[in-house]
Amino acid sequence: MRKLIPILLFALAIAMAASAQLKAPDAEQFVGPPEGLPVTGDQLDQREHEIASMLRCPVCQGLSIADSPAEMAINMKGQVRELLSRGYTQEQILSYFEHSYGQFVLLKPKFRGVNSLVWTLPILALIAGALLVIVKLNKLQDDVAPPAAKDEDEYIARVRDLVNK
Amino acid sequence: MQLGNLATPATWQPMTASLGRILILASLLVSTVGAILAYAAGAKKSLDGLKWARRFAFAFAGCMALATFVMEYALLTHDFTVSYVAQVGSRSVPTWVTIVSLWSSLEGSILFWGFVLGIYIAGATWLTRNEHVEYMAYAIGTWLVCGTFFGFLIAGPASPFGTVAQPPADGPGPNPLLQNHLLMIIHPPFLYLGYVGMTIPFGFATAALLRGRLGLTFLKPLRNALLLPWIFLTIAIMLGGWWAYEVLGWGGYWAWDPVENASLLPWLTATAALHSAIVMERRGVLKGWTVTLVQASFLLTILGTFMTRSGVFNSVHSFTQSSIGPTILVFLAFILVASIVLLAMRIDSLEAEGRIDGALSREAMFLFNNLIFVLITFTVLIGTCFPLIVEAIKGKQMSVGRPYFDSMVVPAGAALIFLLGIGPALPWGRANKQQAIRSLVPPLIGAVIVAAIGFAVGARNGWTLATLAFGGYAAWVTLAEMWRPVAQRMKNGESILNATSQAQWKRGRRRFGSYVIHAGAVIVIISIAVSSTMRTSHEATLHKGETATIKGYTLRFLGTDVRNEVNRVATVARFTLIKDGREITTLEPRMNQYTMMREPIGTPAVHTTLGGDVYVSIMNIDASSETVGVLMIYTPMVGWIWYAVLLMGLGGVIALIPVRRVYAVSPEPIVVDAESATAS
Amino acid sequence: MNRTVLIVGFIMTAALVGVLYFALGKDPQAIDSPLVGHAAPDFTLKAVGTGQSLNLAQYRGKPVVLNFWATWCRPCWEEHPVLTETSQAMGDRVQFVGVVFQDDERKITDFLQQRGWAYPTLVDDRGKTAIAYGVGGVPETFFLNKNGTIVAKYTGPMSGDILQEYIQKAMR
Repeated sequence: MRKLIPILLFALAIAMAASAQLKAPDAEQFVGPPEGLPVTGDQLDQREHEIASMLRCPVCQGLSIADSPAEMAINMKGQVRELLSRGYTQEQILSYFEHSYGQFVLLKPKFRGVNSLVWTLPILALIAGALLVIVKLNKLQDDVAPPAAKDEDEYIARVRDLVNK
Repeated sequence: MQLGNLATPATWQPMTASLGRILILASLLVSTVGAILAYAAGAKKSLDGLKWARRFAFAFAGCMALATFVMEYALLTHDFTVSYVAQVGSRSVPTWVTIVSLWSSLEGSILFWGFVLGIYIAGATWLTRNEHVEYMAYAIGTWLVCGTFFGFLIAGPASPFGTVAQPPADGPGPNPLLQNHLLMIIHPPFLYLGYVGMTIPFGFATAALLRGRLGLTFLKPLRNALLLPWIFLTIAIMLGGWWAYEVLGWGGYWAWDPVENASLLPWLTATAALHSAIVMERRGVLKGWTVTLVQASFLLTILGTFMTRSGVFNSVHSFTQSSIGPTILVFLAFILVASIVLLAMRIDSLEAEGRIDGALSREAMFLFNNLIFVLITFTVLIGTCFPLIVEAIKGKQMSVGRPYFDSMVVPAGAALIFLLGIGPALPWGRANKQQAIRSLVPPLIGAVIVAAIGFAVGARNGWTLATLAFGGYAAWVTLAEMWRPVAQRMKNGESILNATSQAQWKRGRRRFGSYVIHAGAVIVIISIAVSSTMRTSHEATLHKGETATIKGYTLRFLGTDVRNEVNRVATVARFTLIKDGREITTLEPRMNQYTMMREPIGTPAVHTTLGGDVYVSIMNIDASSETVGVLMIYTPMVGWIWYAVLLMGLGGVIALIPVRRVYAVSPEPIVVDAESATAS
Repeated sequence: MNRTVLIVGFIMTAALVGVLYFALGKDPQAIDSPLVGHAAPDFTLKAVGTGQSLNLAQYRGKPVVLNFWATWCRPCWEEHPVLTETSQAMGDRVQFVGVVFQDDERKITDFLQQRGWAYPTLVDDRGKTAIAYGVGGVPETFFLNKNGTIVAKYTGPMSGDILQEYIQKAMR
């Protein structure tokens, strides 16, 4: 019996060492420790869905992982959920996926460098367009209406004649 | 000639492909010669030349139609010596699938484009046979140039009439996703009727530019030529969304996929053009701008076909990569440059014949309407092409997806529905302050009512509530404007029945139809806002007999069922839907394993009610252990979208039906368009 | 001649046609991996069969072919003999490692016993390794040089020639 205990302890130590060593790559290696608070319950479901809607399913054509039934998408959603429950922020989670998949995986373009154009160009177009409309409105109000006799349509001219007769 | 030798099928069959090729080459020849002839006739103002141009237009349509009939014949007789039939034909699919496989794959779909183009050209040529002789030669010439391009595509890079040396005994059939639903029959034809139809107003607009003038009587054919394809395109876009919703399993109807965007872009500019044309008709201004929008609508269809067929964009709808992309791009570049040069040369000669009286007027609101539509067009175009731009500049791939488009388009949509309200509320011409208040204040009641209802049923999203408020305002205005001519007539002593039929049907059809379109649009925008922001979803894994709940509904899993059908094996999950303890219906979403596809494709089951849809989709299923992983979604008001868009289409049809009145005040009857004489 | 229309029109046309022309011939599905040129994320996973824990870093000093696959993936079936044979031929110079995710251990063992088991196959933990490597689908293969840096990634099943070509890249 007394010999058994050291054997058991030894076996336990080996088992612990073996299982403790199993380590898949973790987000912490790439984006650091969690910077926010852990999320639970209904809020977790909601946040998971929100962030999943911003990540692109790598095997589908344009769907987000929230909408995709693919295996990989489900895995990624699981990762998002786990990271949220550990307290990672949205920034960190998106950065983590960007690190391994590239900017391709972000459905909402980051406001950085060339990408910022996709956000700014429409705003610039709005401002330019609004100015153009205001200018045109003013111009259209200033134009003097040309005389009504200038009518290329013979039919209407004839009707007018007949009516005025 | 000894018919006996030719009677055996083996010798007849290769002739089908040859016959098709001959007909296509004929149509190519006819359209090329016809285009040259027509432009020459236009330049020389030759009536005789115009007559010949018309004949060539009809001949083009005839050749294309015959070629299409030959292809359908080949498909229905499973003639695998024809390359397209070998590609998509199959003896083991239902007959309706065989018929619609004409447009299921690239080559056949371009032949279908040519067919629809022929019909449109023939129709437009026939309807204008006695009128607008100054413009028609140029218009026909332009149409036939487009005919030449598509004829060339069908004859060359995208030929469906290749001869297969060793025909197989059977073919693979069209893409299984296209066999899953009956909407496959109607969505593509409507889309082509919309898309291809934009060629006709393009021809009219080009003719106006070439002539250097756009008279108000020519405005009617231009406007009608724009309205007809607009109706088809509006319905087609909705059908695409409905089909995606019923077939794809993620529970949504619009993903801002590049091909979806391609169908939306010309719709946006065409809608803007229809509105700008109203200002043109009333005030004689904005001629150049209207023409530009019409040109843009056509050019965007060519861009759209490039986006769909070139393989350049990442999309569920893409046809496979092919050599057709460069050819379309060349045509797009050519027609872009030609249109811009023509516009630059002639836009200033389209003289304005009037003015606008005030900034607080309905006319001014039309300008803002155009601004927003063009802005949305620009944004969607930039967003769709942006990944290509970045890859060209930096060599890196990035994505522009739904979150981007939603955040850009939602505010724009809210602005549009706001204009939908105050635009028709304001009177034409300058409004003084009293008039403005009298028009703008009462509808606020509608805004408050609808927003309050929305808030009461749980809407909390800011944009949704704003949309509901604007929508309520717009609904009030639309109904008030529909009522106004009836009320006026009743004041003059007419009975309500008589007043309504006179005001809305006999005299004011165009106006009434337009307001019906607006009514439909208000419902669509509100439904989109509510269905996107107020949906709930829930996932569950169920064993036989277990239940899951969503929004007051209970779903009980009855078990699995395996059905062997003609071209697929379907694993069905049977559910009963229960509400308030009562069994309402059975839902049977499936996983289909098509014989020709590696991965199975799921089909969801949808239960539609007035308030919303219960949507059930299978994520994974195991028939042996009777276990199913199910996704349930409750989407409020989504069914309203489809029917409200149909209402918009109906409004368009009402507006399109011509009204003619003949005044006989002199020995010669003079035909005047009653619409332009009606005050509204 | 309206100069504004001409200039604005031409700029927009040139930009649009230019971008589309550039995009022709490019495969929109081919996504570059951002990890190429960077250190391969380290991991310790359980090997199928032996149950041993194997650590990626222990293979430093030799180029590594890291292949992600699954038994439910049809193209992987075709690729498997290519990998097995090459591994047997080059095992002394190149280390082959397989990582399976979203799969059943028994199915993996059966598969390997039937079709050849030439190198360690590891089981991923809920797809976390696949995510860290930016794996979208299977099969995808990463080529590491002897210092543990990813020099190339190949998406899809490889033929013998392609495998050789990429191994050469890893050996440089």
